[in-house]
Amino acid sequence: MGTVITTFVSMLVGGAVAAVTVVGVVNSQTTAPDKTPVSVNAPAIDYGSTN
Amino acid sequence: MSRRRVEEVALVAWSVLLAAVTLGPALAPGALELRDMVWVPDLRLSGDALGFGSGLPRAVPSDAVVAVLDEAVRGELLQRLVLFCGLAGGGLGVARLLGPAAATVARFAAVTLYVWNAWVLERLLMGQWPVLVGCAVLPWVVLGTRDWAGRRRLSPFLLVLLPLGSLSASAGLVTAVGLLLSLHDAGRRRLGGALLLVVAANAPWIASGLLHAADATSDPRAAEVFALHREGGVPAPLAALTLGGIWNADVVPLERTGLLGWAALVVLCGLAAAGAGVWWRRTSSPLRTALVGCWCVGAGLALLTWAAPGVVGWAAAHVPGAGVIRDGARPLVLCAPLLAVLVGSGVELVLRRLQGPPRVVLAVAAVLLPVALLPSLAWGAGGSLRPTTLPAAYAEARDLLADGQGDVLLLPLSSYRAPVWNGGRPVLDPLARYLARDPGSSVVASDVLVVDGVPLAGEDPRVASAAGALAATSPELRARGLAAIGIGAVVTDLAAPGAERAPAVAGDVLLDGTGPSEGLRVVSLHHVQVREVPIAWVVVMGLAWVLFLALPVGSVALVAVRRGAWWRGRRPPRRGVRERPRDV
Repeated sequence: MGTVITTFVSMLVGGAVAAVTVVGVVNSQTTAPDKTPVSVNAPAIDYGSTN
Repeated sequence: MSRRRVEEVALVAWSVLLAAVTLGPALAPGALELRDMVWVPDLRLSGDALGFGSGLPRAVPSDAVVAVLDEAVRGELLQRLVLFCGLAGGGLGVARLLGPAAATVARFAAVTLYVWNAWVLERLLMGQWPVLVGCAVLPWVVLGTRDWAGRRRLSPFLLVLLPLGSLSASAGLVTAVGLLLSLHDAGRRRLGGALLLVVAANAPWIASGLLHAADATSDPRAAEVFALHREGGVPAPLAALTLGGIWNADVVPLERTGLLGWAALVVLCGLAAAGAGVWWRRTSSPLRTALVGCWCVGAGLALLTWAAPGVVGWAAAHVPGAGVIRDGARPLVLCAPLLAVLVGSGVELVLRRLQGPPRVVLAVAAVLLPVALLPSLAWGAGGSLRPTTLPAAYAEARDLLADGQGDVLLLPLSSYRAPVWNGGRPVLDPLARYLARDPGSSVVASDVLVVDGVPLAGEDPRVASAAGALAATSPELRARGLAAIGIGAVVTDLAAPGAERAPAVAGDVLLDGTGPSEGLRVVSLHHVQVREVPIAWVVVMGLAWVLFLALPVGSVALVAVRRGAWWRGRRPPRRGVRERPRDV
């Protein structure tokens, strides 16, 4: 009984990690950036932003 | 093939695969330019690269090393080799830190975490490749130093690793901490030797920094800007536990700011805590002290920038060179080896009681866990790292200025560009390296950093002098003022923001920004008073470079001497002469 539960739990955890990996990687590759890197009208290009 | 050998080969294959998936499109041919990462075809050994420039030695010795090596290996290929081998090599090093007693799954999990973590992603997107090389070298430095302490023989490998891990000031400090903490138990004499090695490996930037000591203090406001930051809802000190917390929100992946950021914290810290006991028991005391010491120094420096940015700012403003610690998340690389080996040990502990298919499934899941927690790193950080083609006008400008006198001034006076040819991605103006000529000349470009639209003052006094000359009322007066401070040519990037307001300068127009040379205006000035590098600077920097080069040369010499001794030991005795037994 214990073996069955262990197998089931490990499948569940493994499947979850696999699913999160695949969904995360696909999502990160296909989602447009939430903001454009820079504005060409800006007087100087920002090195970065803190917020 | 033994089981151990198979495991080693599999670890190499896994590290290579991780590096390949991380870089993805970045491995294709072309110019790979992002923020601080600027590589140009055939970089020249200029005054800036050698530490003679008027600005702080931020790219010393990395630029000089690249300028020399790209004579043998094409620059594009060299850049890919550096990034690829850096990622894969670091992973393999951390696997060795776990020692032979560790389970296979522990080593694989540690490799994945060392290659695939927030620090690596954020530094890749910042383009800070010398610190990535430092990250790769760190575990090997610890291993090589422990070997030195144990066998009482200095490894030639260590003599190569030290300069490789000291390609910038911050990377050099990390490597030095790794070396010195790994040798804490080896006695004063060897510690003295290690200090000499550290000085030699870091000599170029230290010497150049000392020559610039008068200008080596930086804007105190930068300490607050570059301090350790929170990542979305994850507070800065907690983000640092999983190697995040960079100041620049533009390079923080979305998942680090939400639930997945918290999940990474709970899962990685939980596994690390679980594995701490196992790792502690089977690791030698000196290695434990080295890795825990590195972690404490890295976390301590990072937390200092967060808790007391005023103190760091004061130090940066008053102590020459102290600004090197202002980037709060950068020293967290020192925490990476310990985190990776603890998480690996934690995974081993969790899986220890399982057998059969459940163990295999969970082992695979555990090894892939860092990828699941940070999917944005995949495939060139979601395509942010992809090659491009530099404008043809750059090469034309370089050819035209090849025999020119004096230094080159880049306009507009702003340090970063976001060119269309680079997909709008920000990059430090590539012209500063592209137009580098010879050891006697420099390229003068703005070193003001703009963060959140607020400029942070630079340190190069010649930029201020050039700005003063450009403020004159006529093109002729501007040209005269610039020539007087040693500027021989002015190159204006017409596509850069603010180029339309760049003041005109009188002189010979070599490129007018139209036709094939579209985008660049190059004006050569007359009556240039060429800036002479003081002879004392040449002597000091010459000595520094000799010290730096002594390490790889010493490595080769050490190998040759030991090989010679080995061969002499193996040579069959001459006829009639009995071989003397070797000392044991």
